[in-house]
Amino acid sequence: MSDFPRPFPARDRDTAPFWEAQDNHILQFQKCSQCAHIRYVVGPLCPECRSFDFGWIASSGRGTIYSFTVVRHQTHPAFEPPYTVLLVEMEEGPRVIAQLRAPEDADVGIGTRVHVEWEDHEQQSLPVFVPEA
Amino acid sequence: MRDNACIVGIGESAYTRDAESPASVLSNQLRAATNAIADAGLETSRIDCLIPSQYGPSTEELAANLGIASLRFATTVHMGGAAAVTSVQTAAMAVTSGYADYALVVTGWNGYSATRTRNVLASNTSVIPGGDIARDYYMPYGLTVPAQWYALIARRHMHEFGTTAEQLGAIALAMRRHAQLNGRAVMRERAMTIEDYLASPVIAHPYRLFDCCLETDGAAAVVVTSAERAHDLAQPPVRVLGAASAHPYPADDITNRRDIFETGLTRAAPRAFAMADIDPADVDFAQIYDCFTFEVLQQIEEAGFCARGEGGAFVEGGRIELGGDLPVNTHGGLLSEAHVLGMNHVVEAVRQLRGGCGERQVPDAEVGVVTGWGDFGDGSIAVLGR
Ligand SMILES: [Zn+2]
Repeated sequence: MSDFPRPFPARDRDTAPFWEAQDNHILQFQKCSQCAHIRYVVGPLCPECRSFDFGWIASSGRGTIYSFTVVRHQTHPAFEPPYTVLLVEMEEGPRVIAQLRAPEDADVGIGTRVHVEWEDHEQQSLPVFVPEA
Repeated sequence: MRDNACIVGIGESAYTRDAESPASVLSNQLRAATNAIADAGLETSRIDCLIPSQYGPSTEELAANLGIASLRFATTVHMGGAAAVTSVQTAAMAVTSGYADYALVVTGWNGYSATRTRNVLASNTSVIPGGDIARDYYMPYGLTVPAQWYALIARRHMHEFGTTAEQLGAIALAMRRHAQLNGRAVMRERAMTIEDYLASPVIAHPYRLFDCCLETDGAAAVVVTSAERAHDLAQPPVRVLGAASAHPYPADDITNRRDIFETGLTRAAPRAFAMADIDPADVDFAQIYDCFTFEVLQQIEEAGFCARGEGGAFVEGGRIELGGDLPVNTHGGLLSEAHVLGMNHVVEAVRQLRGGCGERQVPDAEVGVVTGWGDFGDGSIAVLGR
């Protein structure tokens, strides 16, 4: 397998506050100041009402598994299978991707409630999801 | 379309899986292009419109190599696997509007011997639309290739509608059976049973190895002109009765759509069928972009061949095999013929409508559909007729 470094988000002028908050273990979303639409993918303009004004809101960190995949075939040198990636519908609305952290025999599937914890990397802290007790 | 554009020439290179292949992408594309032009019975110098793929040689490079001195219109469609059909649509627009007379559309790559998809994406996500989102929100969590992205949608469909592994397997088997009737298919003489399918290793659940398209070297091309000009050429013209392209919303993020199953095809298909004045029930065959088995099922639903959630039952019982209600990918598709970015689906549709498919011919085929699926669900569709 070719030698590629582990991918991390690339900060730019729009997204830097989002990634800096993650380094402080805060998952936050943009909330439109005009129509209150909450968006996950960071951008300068509200696609619902075309307002440039927004504030940041901290997520509760809690959500429900909307879908998932268990990766068993390696496609990138930085990610060794098996690993499970979740698509989680957060309480605030947006769906967020992150890996599952749970014992191998944990009963986890669509509908399971999870919460965010954090894994620190030199380049960027990233969220992981842990099943609610 | 009152004045239909017509596909008048088809051409392909060999389709190979050979790590030591001596054929460059350029030479494969030139072979497909010259075959298509010769098939049409056209002088190469008459080509005045060129629509090459985003992957491979540029317009400038192809035109120079083909000895085409004077182009009137050239463009490239950036819609990944949806681009082949959208490029045919673009060619149809060019030749029916008077901006050009004869359009050459060509795709192809060395997907086996050089351009492994996972390596391309690991080094540069900007090759795909929405690449920044993949880089920032998907790749850091180990979702680095399309099989893993799309698996989230497939798994959700299984949850909501009870779609089963056996139903995805029925799609893989249909493509493989059709490939046994196609001398060009890479998977000819590699027959597969449902047991083989279920025993194939999981790549990214729910996708097994045999849910995933091939990686191959090769190229395919078509020549498009107006109905009026088509009659002076060598082959019976195949008419573009309707064509449409569209994007899902949001197009650049596959995970935050209100309707997670929506694709570009959801919007494009009704437009194309209305333009053609054809009902999906009246289609004789469909060549559906089969990057993975579930995407075939999803497109069957979103194109309107059955209702949302009924795709699993639709693909069972041989219904999408030759002899069934809607034969799908009669050449074997990306899953079992070759992956040349979907242009082989256009070529096969034309071949079926000309009646030249031998033992895999759909009897009396009059209307066929070709679809494209690109990146995060960009969609394209052409309704073709004799
Ligand atoms: Zn707003």
